[in-house]
Amino acid sequence: MPQISPRAPLHQACIYNMDAIIPIPYVNVARQHAAIKDELLSALSEVLDGGHFILGEQVEKFEQSFSDLCGVRYAVGVNSGTDALILGLKAIGVGPGDEVITVPNSFVSSTACIRLLGAKTVFVDVGDDYNMDPKNISGAISPRTKAILPVHLTGRPCDMEPIMNIAKRHSVHVVEDCAQAVLAEYQGKRVGSFGTIGCFSLHPLKTLNACGDGGVLTTDDPLLWERLKIMRNLGLKTRDDCVLWSYNSRLDTIQAAILLVKLRYVERWTARRRENADRYRGALAKISQVRLPPAEKKYEKAVYHTFVIQAENRDNLREYLASQGIGSGVHYPVPIHLSTAGRELGYHEGSFPMAENQAKKVVSLPVYPELTEMQISKVCSCIQDFYNKH
Amino acid sequence: MKVKFSYLDRQFVELDAYLADVRNLVVSGNFTLGKAVTEFEQRFASLCQMPYAIGVGSGTDALILTLKILGIGAGDEVITAANTFIATVGAIAMTGARPVLVDNDDGYTMNPDLIEAAITPRTKAILPVHYTGNVANMPAIMEVAEKHGLKVIEDACQAISAAYNSQPVGSWGETACFSLHPLKNLNVWGDGGVIVTRSAELNRKLRLFRNHGLANRDEVEFFGHNSRLDSLQAVIGNRLIGQTEFITNQRIANARRLDKELADLKEFISIPARPEYVKHVYHLYIVRVKRRNELLACLKKNEIDARVHYPIPTHLQRAAANLRYKQGDFPMAENDSRVSITLPAHQHLTDAEINYMVEKIHEFYLH
Repeated sequence: MPQISPRAPLHQACIYNMDAIIPIPYVNVARQHAAIKDELLSALSEVLDGGHFILGEQVEKFEQSFSDLCGVRYAVGVNSGTDALILGLKAIGVGPGDEVITVPNSFVSSTACIRLLGAKTVFVDVGDDYNMDPKNISGAISPRTKAILPVHLTGRPCDMEPIMNIAKRHSVHVVEDCAQAVLAEYQGKRVGSFGTIGCFSLHPLKTLNACGDGGVLTTDDPLLWERLKIMRNLGLKTRDDCVLWSYNSRLDTIQAAILLVKLRYVERWTARRRENADRYRGALAKISQVRLPPAEKKYEKAVYHTFVIQAENRDNLREYLASQGIGSGVHYPVPIHLSTAGRELGYHEGSFPMAENQAKKVVSLPVYPELTEMQISKVCSCIQDFYNKH
Repeated sequence: MKVKFSYLDRQFVELDAYLADVRNLVVSGNFTLGKAVTEFEQRFASLCQMPYAIGVGSGTDALILTLKILGIGAGDEVITAANTFIATVGAIAMTGARPVLVDNDDGYTMNPDLIEAAITPRTKAILPVHYTGNVANMPAIMEVAEKHGLKVIEDACQAISAAYNSQPVGSWGETACFSLHPLKNLNVWGDGGVIVTRSAELNRKLRLFRNHGLANRDEVEFFGHNSRLDSLQAVIGNRLIGQTEFITNQRIANARRLDKELADLKEFISIPARPEYVKHVYHLYIVRVKRRNELLACLKKNEIDARVHYPIPTHLQRAAANLRYKQGDFPMAENDSRVSITLPAHQHLTDAEINYMVEKIHEFYLH
């Protein structure tokens, strides 16, 4: 049985025996692929036989299926979730002089996209559910606000009703960062269908994942759809007609073919993630040093891209888990406004107490669909052991 | 007989070896950067005889990342060639800088004599394009750049393994930007690009910039893009990079053959000069012809997939309206867009296909 040194990166997946309970790496894409390898390779072969590697049939099919899945009219495949955000904001006209309201507790790209367009990031603090707290938004709106960019962090939908109401009242766009939240629902509607545009990541560690970088945007607006298709393809309306300067950010055809295979499974996988989350909730409820994610409201359906708990003595807990062969993650240890890059935004320690406090305590437990019940029990009993000893 | 422009159906006839590599990657589950990308970067750097290579999402991204990391943005100007694929100009525009165009010469690359007139106090860089696989006149361009204190960035998207005075492309500028697009001489199974540089500092910064500015998993040094060469594409690149010399030599041989076979039609077909100090790698075999559109139609009718790169010059595209150029500003580029034709010259062409193509072109002009 391979040992994980306590000094090794805690998130690192390791080689392991498929049937063993331990180790339990934090992520395990290999296990997902082992089950569908033949389907993936035959989808790949089809693309190769066609000899066509840029856009084309598979990308269009994926876009159609993905828009159906989200309950929107249109989807546009791009090179990454970050590019989806950049193109989405740019498509609604965000540029120098504009402000975009978002949260500091996300992955860096939800802020980077704003900065890369020359606009200013305005942060608001989050709630207990790790998502944008709607009551903080109105105070952050200025005449320069162009958009609100809520992040459905951990795969849990933001409180979209008040967010949409505020946006409407101030005539600003909502661009949803759905990078972690494919299939998440709020009041019976899937994320990506609330804002002007929804931006998804298809990164290998996301709940719907390509075998490389990928992203997709959703919208109901036919004009934005047309515009985004041009914007992801160098501004080309046809091969010879360049109507605006733009990026090259296309979802690879081979990735679209791979994603079409995975779309057959994603609802099943998501159901498994939700079951895993329930198991954790049941088994960890009695540990007083652990704070579970708030229960889902009856109109919310989270997809648990990450299962995030707040744990006392977090770093030692993680080391202990690692010593027991259990991987974990921290999403994210440094709030964006306190990162080296984020200094330019002019915030400081204390600007966003909720996000800052959470960053010190959060730990993400393995929650992928392929985990067994016994593995989850093992994680929970190790957490219990740790607190018994400390 | 069909003569195709795309050779991808022939390149991957022996698929099993590729698929075995892909299978190994798929079961490893490591799809972002990692070993395959590092190996590819090292091999690419040594192919270019340069210390550093950085794999990115596309040739366009290679240009955008370079320009931005050099601090080029709003208020700056970058001089490039009028006769290029629109991505070159688009990359400059995406940084907020203004693209300033200069006309090309007979060899389809930037005319160095026209550069000085385009320089203003806002000019930050010159971005020559090794268009068609030919090499821009780098000694002359470097001289102008040095005189005016400008940076040089090479757009080498079409020119892997090309050289001038035996000095490989990619070794003049601050960086050189390559594309691995499926129809490039060295290609992968989707979009991909590479930046090469001799600067350790640029190498370090570009590695961060393509990966969210992440100095490590949790520390963001500056806000960056996500533009990584996919590990899956690097696996394919590692299979193909060993064939670069074969691909290049074959394209050069095909081009020489076409030059020779078409020489007797000089009344109708003007072949650009082929100076012996330039190693042209013929990403595009492009010549100037009389009755271009008729020839194109005739070849298409005979199932020969000739193309036009490009029928609308960049400065006359709708996207360029804000640059305020007009018809007549770049006479060479404008004329080339009317008279140039690109014939298939790829490494998988057979002798019979070349003969057929030559025969049909002769029939068109002589009968």
